[in-house]
Parts: sequence; C-alpha cells; structure tokens
Amino acid sequence: MGHIAIEQVRCKGCGRCVVACPKNLIEYGTELNERGYAYVIFKGSPEQCGGCTLCAVSCPDQGIEVYNSRDRKVFVNTTGLTEVMTHYCPGCTHGVVHRLVAEVLEEMGLLGRTIGIAPVGCSVLAYEYFNFDMFEAAHGRAPAVATGAKRARPDRIVFTYQGDGDLASIGGNEILHAANRGEKITVIFLNNAIYGMTGGQMAPTTMPGQKTTTTPFGRDTADTGQPLRVAEMLATLATPAFIARGTSHDAKGTLKTRKLIKEAFEHQAANRCFSFVEVLSTCPTNWGLSPNEASDWVEETMIPYYPLGILKRPAPEAVKA
Amino acid sequence: MSKVLMKGNEALGEAAIRAGCVHFFGYPITPQTEIPEYLCKRLPEVGGVFLQAESEVAAIHMVYGAAGAGVKCMTSSSSPGISLMAEGMSYLAACELPCVVINMMRAGPGLGGILPAQSDYFQATRGHGHGDYQCIVLAPASVQEAVDLMTLAFDLAEKYRNPVMVCADGMIGQMMEPVEFRSEGRGPPMAGNDWALTGCEGRPRRIVNSLHLAPEQNFAYNVRLKEKYDRAAREEVRFELYGDGRPDVLVVAFGTMARISKSAIDDLRREGRRVALFRPITLNPWPYAQCRAAMDAMPEGAKVLDVEMSMGQMIYDVKLAAEGTRTIEFLGKAGGLVPSPDEVAARIRALLP
Repeated sequence: MGHIAIEQVRCKGCGRCVVACPKNLIEYGTELNERGYAYVIFKGSPEQCGGCTLCAVSCPDQGIEVYNSRDRKVFVNTTGLTEVMTHYCPGCTHGVVHRLVAEVLEEMGLLGRTIGIAPVGCSVLAYEYFNFDMFEAAHGRAPAVATGAKRARPDRIVFTYQGDGDLASIGGNEILHAANRGEKITVIFLNNAIYGMTGGQMAPTTMPGQKTTTTPFGRDTADTGQPLRVAEMLATLATPAFIARGTSHDAKGTLKTRKLIKEAFEHQAANRCFSFVEVLSTCPTNWGLSPNEASDWVEETMIPYYPLGILKRPAPEAVKA
Repeated sequence: MSKVLMKGNEALGEAAIRAGCVHFFGYPITPQTEIPEYLCKRLPEVGGVFLQAESEVAAIHMVYGAAGAGVKCMTSSSSPGISLMAEGMSYLAACELPCVVINMMRAGPGLGGILPAQSDYFQATRGHGHGDYQCIVLAPASVQEAVDLMTLAFDLAEKYRNPVMVCADGMIGQMMEPVEFRSEGRGPPMAGNDWALTGCEGRPRRIVNSLHLAPEQNFAYNVRLKEKYDRAAREEVRFELYGDGRPDVLVVAFGTMARISKSAIDDLRREGRRVALFRPITLNPWPYAQCRAAMDAMPEGAKVLDVEMSMGQMIYDVKLAAEGTRTIEFLGKAGGLVPSPDEVAARIRALLP
C-alpha cells in the first residue's frame, strides 16, 4: 500500500498518469494551478495505491513522487535534472526521456563527468534542464560537436540529445559519419514524426498521409519519399555499434527504453562503441490530438513502421574486451 | 635554432604543434591539403588528435566541441570550404570559444579555381556567418611570418576567447622557404580554461550556449562582444611600413601581394624614387590610424595605390583610412592571376610626379 504526492505547480494536466494508473486512482482536475493548467488529482486512499510508480514513470514534468506503505519514497526525482520547469507542451514526452537519461547517468555515477549536447528544435533548451555540463549546438551538428568534445576529453561521457528534424534531416551527414567512425558517444534520438518547435512541419520521419503544415493534404510519399528509419539505416553500417529503438508513449515502453538508454551509456563507459537509442515520442500539439490520443497514435501508427527493440549490438568478444 | 626548408602548408602544421595545438579537425581541399596530410603523421607523435571530418561543416563543429571542452584546436581549409564553415564560425564567436582557422585562399567565386587569390577579404573581415561577430584576422606575407603568426593566433584566440583566422593564399601554402621555429616540441596547452566543459564534478555546472531569447539579454551580450572587439582594435593592430617615410606613392597591400609589391618598391627605390609600402598584418582589426598617418606624411598630391589579388576588396578599408583626403588608385587581378613586380612597378611609375 502506498500513496503519491502530486506537485500541483509542475502538473500540466496532460493526464498521462491518469491512463498509467492501473487502479484508476488519478483523475483530471478542474482547478487551475498558477501556470494555468488543470492539475490532476489523486483520489485514491493508501489502501488502494500499490506504489507501483507507473504514474511517476509516465509523468513528463517530474511532478509525482511515490511512497510505499512505510511512507518511504519509492520514486525519487533525479538530481540529474534541474528544478526548472520545462517549456514542453502538455503530454509531450521529451520530459520523460530527459528524466530517463538523467536517472541512468545518476544511477551509473556519471553526472559529474558527463558533457551533454542539446540540439536545435523543441529540446533546444535541454541545457536548462540537464543538471551537468551542457553544450547548445547548431542545428543538426550535435554529433560533430560531440566528436570534438569526446576526442578532446576521451575520459568523459559525451552524449547528444536530438530530435528528428535535427538528426534525420539537417544533421543526416553528421549522425551517419559519427556512427560510421564509431565515435564513443551516445546519441538519444527523439522521433515524434514532425517538426515541433517551428510549428508542425513535415519531418523525414513524418508518416505517410500524416497532415502537417507543409503537407496539409497528408504526406504524399510519391512526392516526399517514405519515412526515414534512421536506426535501421545506422544498423547497416559495418562499424560495431549499439543501435536500439524504444518508445516513451506509455509506462511499460518507457521502462524498457530506460534499459536501452542504460545499456547505451554502459557501452560508452566501457569505451566500446557508438551507441544510439531512438525513442518514439508524442507531439499532441502539432498532431492535433489529446495527450492520450497521441499515445494511441504512437501505438497504432508509428510502432508498426518503427518497430521497437535492439537492432544491433557490438559482437560479444567486443563486449567482453 | 637552425632553419629548415619547408613547404608553407607543412610549416603551418608544425607551427600549430609548436604553439601547443594538438587537436586538428579538417577536410581536404586544394591548396591547403598538405596541412592535414602533415598533421595526420605528426600529431600521433605528440599524442595529439587528427580527424578527417566528413565535411567542412562537420570539421568546424568538431572544433566547436573540442574548443568548448577546453583544448587548443584548429581547422584549415580554402575558400569554398571556409564558406561552409561560416555557420560554425558564428557559433564559435557567439560562444566565445578560442580556436584557429586557416584559410589558404584560392580563386572564386563558386568553385573558382585552385590558384592563389585574396578574394575572401570581405568574407574574412566582414564576418562569414550571421550576426554581429568578428574574427581576428592575421595575414602573413611569407612562410616564416605564417609560422610566427600561428603562435600569435593561438595566443590571441585564448586572450580574447574568439576564433582567429590566419588568412593566407595558395602561394604561401604551396611555396617552400627556409623557416625557423622559435620553440622546440609541443607547445603549452590552453591556460585558464575555467569556462570549459569538462564534467561538473566538484564545481557548478557550465553551459556553452548562444541562445538568448530575451532581446534585452541578447543585446547586452552583443554589447559585451563588441567591447571585446573594440579592445582588440585598440591593442592588437599590427602592420608594417616599408620604404620612404615621405613617399610620392604609397602602396597598400597585404600577404603575397605585399611581398610582390616590395620587389617593385625596391626596384624603384634603387632608381631614386620615393615609394613606400603599408602592409596590414591584422586584416581585422585594420590599422586605420596607422595607415592614415602614413598617408598624412606624404607630400601634397602624392598618390595611394591599393594592390590586391582580387577585384578590389581591401580598397574599401584604405578609403576608410583616407577619409576622403586622398584618391585611392587600384591595381588588381583575380581568378588566380597575380600582378607581377613589373606590373606593380609600371603602375607606380605612372603615378609618380
């Protein structure tokens, strides 16, 4: 038995926790917090809450803490993130993936020797949220910046955090060659099938038929090609690498993605290979869907085209070495 | 220290190591390719890093990453490649990251040609990328000077936390000359990099960033950068004045063109003509006051001749220096052609009283 504490001011009312709670103990609220969001409410009693933490795992805003029956915190917000409240839209899962990266680095004791690189796009302000040394890079160039930083400081952990416009479009060359050189960096690639920051234009990853502001009649693949599967493309390279795809649209997928991110950083910490984790994520605002409809869209439309799992691992002998 | 005979590009590579730079990121392009070819062999010997990037775009952003991590680093390229680096130069200047960029200028525009030119003067001195930023630009006129200026380039990059461009041309890169290195072995690492990203263990975290969304904050940032450039303009101007102190013709030229002009001036002076050369060594900051003083020392009616391997770019700075007090004549060739000493001498002769 347990209970949760919802930090009202952090809540954007996206309701991802409402869906995540297996016992339906969280409901949408009607009161607005000081930022104008209708925050969610825990309506259960300690006898009902199992302290499973899935609500907190789903929360993009570090807004929920979970306690067990002995009133001990079982879900603690990571010190790898600052206290700054993110600018992300309600239901966007950038915040979830930020937390996964930060949690993993904290767990591995790497926060003090990590250099992160923020991209251009919705996560341009990631340097405000990650609580360690951060670069802000030019659009698409993060893998080149990471290469320079890692070559200068080979004993540091260097990672990029990039969206699909940044990585798959303008930065296509930089990611391809960083991967092919086998740079000992980690790349966290958020794929939400759209340009978010500029207001919802077609990305290389936009789904066939998907309406965006530059494909108002739906993406016509005869004209714009098929969605780019970056993970698959990088997995064809002969250079050893860890290449995986996870999702952040639901709690279960998020927990699996956490493992992928951890393995990616473990490969880097062992100076083993290039590591890349693509994470499917939601963009309710630019998809024109509610946060939970957006999660369903990932499940129904994106995952069949972008299958989850590990696409490539370094050979066992390399892992042993 | 004894002199060695070296090709300009290779000498520049060695000079970088002597200056303490052991991180190089670059991409092949004529006529500077001997710089990466030299460094890929030499850097491993001194424990350095050589990386052939996939493009000039990537190379300059690797420099951004390495400079931000607090090591002396550089790249080199030639005109079309420098155009591709424009983006990164803007970010480097915006984030106040020290680095050195060599431009071994070749003829343009477009793909142009591979022969020497000075037609990237506007690009070098008026900024390459977007925004109110400047680079310090050094223009050597010989292989020896190129070597000497490399140490200065890294010193100024660190002093001002700003990219410094060594702007030479294919002639200097490709010719062999005796050079003397003024120090032995690998030079000192970057000093005072207490702003660099090295992992925040035991100190507050640091951010290297050029995004300032609030206009007041961004304006303040621009003002601070401008103050830095103004300080460089006060403290770092370098030039050479050669020949008569009260000339009838003052030639203004930089780099290879200055050296060729010197030959013409020497010939004319042997004939008893009163001629002189004003040679900016820093193309930015430009020695306006010093050039103006040289003009003011001339007799009334004496002429100024700007000579360039371009269709006329530095001439605008010479005019700024003159502030309308003198008519500025121009002699220039572009496309890879270089005015000869005889051509320069003939033009000076035509301007003499």
